[in-house]
Parts: sequence; structure tokens; C-alpha cells
Amino acid sequence: MWGGRYSVSGKSQKYTEAPIKILLAKPAIDGHDRGIFVLAKAFRDAGMDVIYAGLLPTPEEVVDTAINEDVDVIALSLLNGAHMTAFRNVMEILKKRGVNDIAVVGGGIIPDEDKPALERMGITGNFGPGTPLNIIIDHIKARAREIRKLRENEY
Amino acid sequence: MNTEMLAQGILNGDYRAMARSISLIENSGYEVRKAIIKRIYGHGNAKVIGITGPPGVGKSTAIGNLAPLLADHGKVAVLAIDPASPFSGGAILGNRIRMQSALSRQGIYMRSTSNRLYNGGLSEYTWDIVKVLEAAGNDYIILETVGSGQADIDIMNIADVTCVFLAPGLGDEIQAIKSGIMEIGDIFVINKIDREGSYLAIKDIKESLSISNKLETPVIGVNSLTGDHYEELVQSILKMHNRNPREKYYKKLKLVVMEAIYHEYSNYVDSIEFGDKPLKEDPYTMAEEILARHVARPDGLKGREV
Repeated sequence: MWGGRYSVSGKSQKYTEAPIKILLAKPAIDGHDRGIFVLAKAFRDAGMDVIYAGLLPTPEEVVDTAINEDVDVIALSLLNGAHMTAFRNVMEILKKRGVNDIAVVGGGIIPDEDKPALERMGITGNFGPGTPLNIIIDHIKARAREIRKLRENEY
Repeated sequence: MNTEMLAQGILNGDYRAMARSISLIENSGYEVRKAIIKRIYGHGNAKVIGITGPPGVGKSTAIGNLAPLLADHGKVAVLAIDPASPFSGGAILGNRIRMQSALSRQGIYMRSTSNRLYNGGLSEYTWDIVKVLEAAGNDYIILETVGSGQADIDIMNIADVTCVFLAPGLGDEIQAIKSGIMEIGDIFVINKIDREGSYLAIKDIKESLSISNKLETPVIGVNSLTGDHYEELVQSILKMHNRNPREKYYKKLKLVVMEAIYHEYSNYVDSIEFGDKPLKEDPYTMAEEILARHVARPDGLKGREV
């Protein structure tokens, strides 16, 4: 209770500084969710609002969820090698819906030779297994900051 | 900030405008919130269905069953609240997983929010978010609380119909006659009735209702795996009248007055020179002094000189 309700003055609260909202998703067929739980918990401990889309959401569901929840970042993960197709689907649907103010980051088992292509689609990060959590968190924070700035100018 | 455009978007039922407005309400402070609410207030007319109960009784899963059924009777939106971490302030918003497929099939708008450490089972701005959903033309707004303890009863100040969810094995008849959450239910739902002890759970609730002369309160056993008896729950919800709109308005008004006063006077608190020691005066004297100095008086003078 202390520090909850009236800890910050209404006026000084800034949209750009509010907790980052992030959607973790494994679009299309992939049932490996141990890693994403580790990430979800790490992001929570970094002060983010974390939504996990559950197993097997379609790319459409991922985009729908991202829009309805107004997330800052979508973090896509696939371990099964389908990233070039599934990640691209997500990006295409985002584009079709005219969404350009959500950052998309990627991760999973992603061969080095695929990374430039993913970057060109706008999917950054693309971290593999063993990446220290703080590197991932810093990357997401940086992307989220860009997005919040972008949005603030919009409204 | 272009709240005019957002408000228009809300009234048109545009999901992106709704989503962004809700974020701004949560994150941007008093002035932006006021600007949005002012423009949309009075639009729409929704029945707010509160879903509350202890963690793990199946509230989210139940909404996955309930929302599609209610959608046959009107437009439905879902707002679910999950607890924030007291250490990092972050949150895992996990309600969506349990209802995702059911909702996305029908295009039902669903939003999960963190309670941002606010006590009482809701978040600080739940009332405002509900108004956004209402103005967007939803007929039914399902509002899921944080997994609640015995004293988390804020939901009754916002919901028109409060459904208290329980499951077999949570306690005996003494639990059932306790105060707090057991008193606020307009409908009691016993989930997981395929489990052992469901008969006793229903009996205990009914007996406690009979003691407090509220036997007409429905007690419904449901099975969320099979969807058994959900139609009965929907019918009970539809039959309920919206109660105490005046009281709900009054409660919110009071909160806003408190916030507005705080909003106005926290600047004065911030401007006090504290040095490295606390002040000599006790906080009560100091607070009265601040108010006396700055409160506008009916004769137009700005407080008395101290």
C-alpha cells in the first residue's frame, strides 16, 4: 500500500516511462515452451508486463493479440526451423493491418545465414540458445524506447 | 496527444483506438485520462459482469466458456487483471492463454492488465477502462479480478453482477459464512463439479445463504471442461438487474476527488524543503497547514496566511 496509490504525482507520470508491455509468442507449430517461460519470468523481473500467447497460436492470433493488448514489443521464438515462414507471416499480417508502431524481436534456433534476411524484415535480436538474459533484456528495452518515442509523437 | 481522434475511434468500436486509449489511461496520468473519459462518458450501456474468486478456481477458463455464450445475446468484451510483482513491478498476464482460442474465433475484444500493486482485486483504473469498453458499444463486459483473497471486494463497486467462483475442497461451512467475498456474490458458481466434494460445497454455500436470508441467490455448479450448466449461468446473469448505479458513481467520484486533491496539492508537498532531516512538525499539523495555505475559500481568498 505504501508507495502504491499516491507514490507518483499524476502529472509527472510519463507514458514513455511506463512498464514495457511485451507479447511472447511461438507462432505456428512448436511445442517447446521451457525456454519461453524462463524468458517470461526474466522479463517480469525486469519490470515488464508480460503476455505469453500460449502454444500454437496462428500468426493472425499473434497479431490480433498484439493489437488488442497494445503491446510495445512482440518477441517471436521458434526452435523448429520454421522461422523464415512463420516470422514472415507475422510481419506480413502486421503490415496488412497497417501496424508500424510495434517492435518485433526474434529468437530460437536461428542459423547465422538467416539473420540478415530476418533483420531486413524488421525482426531484430534473433538470439540463440545461451544468450545471457541481460543482453536480451537490454535489446528489448532499447527497441521499446524507440517505439514509445514514435507513439508519443503520433498522439 | 490527440485524444479527440482516439475518442472517436473508441465510439466507432475500433480495436486499435480502444487498445491505445487503455494504455494511455493506465500510463499517462490524470490529465490524459480525464481528456479521454470526458469525451466518451455517457456513451454506451453495458452490463458489467464481475468474475472473482480465489486463485486457481478456473475464472479465466470459465470466461473462455462464458464469453462465446454471452456473445449470442450482444457484443462482449473481456478485461482481466493479474497481479504485479511487488519486487520488480512487472507482471505475467496469463489469463489470456485460457480463453484465447474461444475469443479469437469470435473476434471478442480482450485486454489483460496488471493491477500495478493496487489492492482490492482490481487495478486503479479499472473503472476508466470499463468506460472505454462500454463506449465502444459492448453490451456485456466481463471483468475478471486478480485471484482474490477474502477481503478483495472492490469488484462490487464496479460490476453490475458479481459472480463469485469457488471450487470443491476450499473449506467447510465456517468458510462459507465468513464475511468479505462470501457476501458480495450475486451469483455463486462452483467450478469443477466433476470433482469430489462438489455436492458439499454447493450445500455449504446454500446453507450460508439461507442463514442470511438470501436463498434466491443462484448457486450454480459448472464443469468448464465439458461446458455443463453454463447456459444456466448465462440465463442467471441475463436475469439480474443492474444494481446501485448511483452508489457506483458515488464511489468513483470520491476516488477522483481524492486524486484531484492529491494531483493539486502534491506539488506543494514536493516543494517543501526537507533538507536531510524530517520536519519538526508532525505530519498531521503539516498537512493541515498545507491545506489551510492553499485551499481556495468561498470568499475568493486563497486560504489564510500562516
